[in-house]
Amino acid sequence: MLIVQVFNGLMEGMMLFLIASGLTLIFGVSRIINFAHGSFYMLGAFLVYQFLPFLFDGTLAGFVIAVIGGALVVAAIGWLFERVFLRHIYQSNELMQLIITVALVLIIRDAVRLLWGSNDVVVSMPPELSNAIEISGSYFPVFQFAIFGVGLFVLFMMVAIIRFTRAGVLLRAATDDRGMVALLGVNQGRVFAAVFTAGSFLAGLAGGLAAPFGDINYLLDTNVILEAFIVVVIGGLGNLWGALAGAIAVGVLKSLGVLYFPRFAMVLIFVIMAAVLVVRSMNLFRNESRGLGEL
Amino acid sequence: MRGLVGSELKAVRLGVAQLNKAGGLLNRKIDLIVRDSKTKPNEGAKQARDLIVNEKVDVLTGVCSSAVMLAMTAVSGELKTPLYSTIGNTQKANIQAFQPYFWQTQANALGEASAAAEFVALHKNWKTVVPMGFDYEWGHTSVDTFVSHLKRLRPDMVIAEPLFPKIGEANMTSYITAALTKNPDVVYEAVFGSGLINLVKQGKSFGLFKRSNLVTLMTVDVMQSLGNAMPDKGVAGYARAPFFELMGNPKAKAFVEAFKAKYNKYPDDWAVLGYDGLMFYAEVVKKAGSTDADKVIKALTKVSYDGLRGKGMTVRALDHQMSAPVWVGVVTKTGKYPFPIMKAVVRVGPDKTVPLAALVKALRAKAKSNN
Repeated sequence: MLIVQVFNGLMEGMMLFLIASGLTLIFGVSRIINFAHGSFYMLGAFLVYQFLPFLFDGTLAGFVIAVIGGALVVAAIGWLFERVFLRHIYQSNELMQLIITVALVLIIRDAVRLLWGSNDVVVSMPPELSNAIEISGSYFPVFQFAIFGVGLFVLFMMVAIIRFTRAGVLLRAATDDRGMVALLGVNQGRVFAAVFTAGSFLAGLAGGLAAPFGDINYLLDTNVILEAFIVVVIGGLGNLWGALAGAIAVGVLKSLGVLYFPRFAMVLIFVIMAAVLVVRSMNLFRNESRGLGEL
Repeated sequence: MRGLVGSELKAVRLGVAQLNKAGGLLNRKIDLIVRDSKTKPNEGAKQARDLIVNEKVDVLTGVCSSAVMLAMTAVSGELKTPLYSTIGNTQKANIQAFQPYFWQTQANALGEASAAAEFVALHKNWKTVVPMGFDYEWGHTSVDTFVSHLKRLRPDMVIAEPLFPKIGEANMTSYITAALTKNPDVVYEAVFGSGLINLVKQGKSFGLFKRSNLVTLMTVDVMQSLGNAMPDKGVAGYARAPFFELMGNPKAKAFVEAFKAKYNKYPDDWAVLGYDGLMFYAEVVKKAGSTDADKVIKALTKVSYDGLRGKGMTVRALDHQMSAPVWVGVVTKTGKYPFPIMKAVVRVGPDKTVPLAALVKALRAKAKSNN
């Protein structure tokens, strides 16, 4: 009983990590709190719904192509948004960030309603992923394992890129000291654009992957952004490992909370979040500044 | 506007167009003004006040959220302007917070949850049930009513502690696995829309429908959205106005055909309810001979309405609750429609869905003593 619930929490945590990874990456480098991250997630899901009928619908290959294609389109939209709007406000205060990214939330929401309507839409699960492994009467869905695997792969790739590539060196440098990076002749604008595009890609990827798991509608953005923020607040904005720890903590706590304290499951997560904030504000976290730069 | 409200609005637009084409109401053209409460009670109350004071509307309707409905009914009572609900169905608006300018045209949450309990109780081989509901007014009311009604009908059944996911929960897996740890024969769900779709899709991968049964509010929009993703067995639903059960009624058939011709889709429950509510109001106004609020309310309980859901429907004076039925059946794919429908449907009549007068009075007395 406990094992199933912990397993379930881990799986949910990995899904949350997939959503939060892009958000924390963008903040870690460019200090932009992207409120439109949930909107990019939602776009990823709707694009999979749009692409699937043309791509070997009902097959795993079709699903994978649709997810990657959708994430690439979202990345392109993210890149365009960064180049047209965001790049002008890196030096501005947080209020301007809030206004511009929330404006994007509203624009994407209306565009989604215009394109796909206000009714719920559903994407079929590829047959290869729709089964479950049965162990002593408990079901462990294959889809959850697949999401866990993709989450680990994304984490591995992010760590590898940040640690071992020139782009990663620039990212870490930009996280630590943006001014110094600029002084050394690196085009900061390109770094920020690349990071925002990558973060958008991750949001689109998470949305696309989650598409067959549940319902898709134009209110998905706010549902997702709230959970992503809880995760990054617990883990520390801009901290990749923190995002992973926060996501797993939220997933497992929710899962165990539902089993043992069903009436307080959601409250529990907010209590933990509040406790983390209080402890952090008391400066008790030694590794407060640990972020992408220390990977 | 959200899906279910959107389809209700489509049906109301169709009804207004039909009424206007036939000369309007009392030879006056009907003007439909649409506002969005954003599912926030204070916004709903603000919009209601503005519509009454500035737009001078004769009647207010709609409202998806029960919480918004309660906020709006307070304004309706204060400014003495009729409000009728065709979606939100908390019984509090009829009982504890009742004011005479309000009525509702579908079975309220008490009636619906009671119908679900009746259905569960009929299955003598079901011994354990896990109740679950969205964590807000309607979900809690439905679960509480279901539990207390079932305890009376089947004292032998084991009823697990209820689970309350947040409204529209995207990831229901923790709740599904927590429910399955109780080895339930049936899971009762007071959820709807996207949360219900998530529950069904995710429940399938956890073997929920192989290991247990689901009894839930099952409206046509959800069956349309789920399509082939609906499990082949294990889902039973209760519905407020499933069009496929009403096709024997010429009025309902004509509405379904007109709706399909105009919007190229079958109407869901919300559409049927929106249309039926509007046409009932039209009958009441004709009976009153005026749109004056007090005259309308006086005529309200005197109209016997032959609508889409049946003949001779009336609004009771005690709580302004319409004698509306609930349909309960097993969800299945028939091939007759491009989405699953319900079969072996039982129409639970108003004798079982409308709360007894004694219960209404007792609940009011309790609310009064608590205040």
